[in-house]
Amino acid sequence: MIDKIEAKGLNAWYNSNHAVKNVSLRIKSNQITAVIGPSGCGKSTLIRCFNRMHELVPGARVSGEVLLDGEDIYADFIDPVDIRRKVGMVFQKPNPFPTMSVFDNVATGLRLNGTKDRKKVSEMVEKSLKMVALWDQVKDRLHESGASLSGGQQQRLCIARALAVEPEVLLLDEPCSALDPNSTSKIEELIVNLKENYTIVIVTHNMQQAARVSDFTAFMYLGEIIEYGETARIFKYPKEELTERYITGRFG
Amino acid sequence: MARLLDLGMDKLTNMILDMAELSEKAVTTAIQAYTEGKDMRSEVFKWSEELRFIQDEVSELAIELIARYQPVASDLRFIKSSMEITYGLSRFGRYAYDITTVLSMFGDLSKCDHSTIISMADKAKVMIRKSIDAFIKRDVEMARTLSKMDDEVDNMYKEYVKRIIESKGSNLRCSVSATLILRYLERIADHANSIGDKVIYIITGESNPRR
Repeated sequence: MIDKIEAKGLNAWYNSNHAVKNVSLRIKSNQITAVIGPSGCGKSTLIRCFNRMHELVPGARVSGEVLLDGEDIYADFIDPVDIRRKVGMVFQKPNPFPTMSVFDNVATGLRLNGTKDRKKVSEMVEKSLKMVALWDQVKDRLHESGASLSGGQQQRLCIARALAVEPEVLLLDEPCSALDPNSTSKIEELIVNLKENYTIVIVTHNMQQAARVSDFTAFMYLGEIIEYGETARIFKYPKEELTERYITGRFG
Repeated sequence: MARLLDLGMDKLTNMILDMAELSEKAVTTAIQAYTEGKDMRSEVFKWSEELRFIQDEVSELAIELIARYQPVASDLRFIKSSMEITYGLSRFGRYAYDITTVLSMFGDLSKCDHSTIISMADKAKVMIRKSIDAFIKRDVEMARTLSKMDDEVDNMYKEYVKRIIESKGSNLRCSVSATLILRYLERIADHANSIGDKVIYIITGESNPRR
């Protein structure tokens, strides 16, 4: 299996708070990697280092390397905007642009990236909405506000928005925590379907979700990766006592 | 504070311990009944049925715990193994009952040589005890000693069968009844061994320690 992302001695700070400590990790291409761990363990910060979003927070700092297809995304000549196009992100709360229509929510990224051809934009919007299994539900209301959709539909819209610019990696930060169980299982099915074309990293509080969707699981605690391996093994036979205690709910 | 899952797992443990006590009593009683020529079928049958009943309850509770709590890691290994261990314990009871039926099938066996049966029964009982102790103490090393004992029991059984095949003029009533009982004891030893495997699995996650 090819490594899509490789973190090498990665550290991240918020001012003096050392949130990610010397993390080395290989994210496999076309696989789903889950990052689990208690609140504040650094898992969201870690994945924000994978598309240079961490540095957008005032006082934030990063050291170490993150290789995307073998190239350091923190190298001087790299344009972070370019990285964020290749490595898309979806957040916890569905956040469609509230004043934009369903169509424009998905089209905006394309237009910002310089796609002027209206036919091409329409095609990409349709393709993206189909990928997230939302097309049939919204094709007759493309010009209604994105905020008029249900929570689960909004989150799928946000995933479609991320997919429209044809990223290679999708970072999902708690994508289901604001959704009901039914919408959650739809998003989970979608995530698993997407791995054919994308490399996916998902941060989740929900261990069962990590167990259900991911191929690999990383357990983080106090900024460090405690254990990383195949999901089936982690949930059947964790090697580390800390992992065992966390996933069995014997923590703290 | 105890996890909600722990309350259920404690209940599973208690049921396993109840079964362990009952199955040990059944086997000891059956062997004693054989050597003393007593008919204990109905008592041992009752215990064997009780064992099966508790085994079903264990399965039911195990499934409930999985459905309610989605256990993982050592919790999941324990719950899976609780079903397999109680199957073994319930088999002890069943073979104990089978041993008690030999007497009624063959009639008076007091003139037969009991020495092989007694020494194999002693070994089987030690194995039962060890498998249970290894479970209670979560003792991998103790569990690992069972496979060697199981080999010894297997050999005793094979050697006995070989001996009676080759011996001329042996008493059929004695040799056939003894072969049956030795076979049941061999099965008991095998189940004790596999309980030991489950104990190893719970602790280490090794799924086939003998392969």
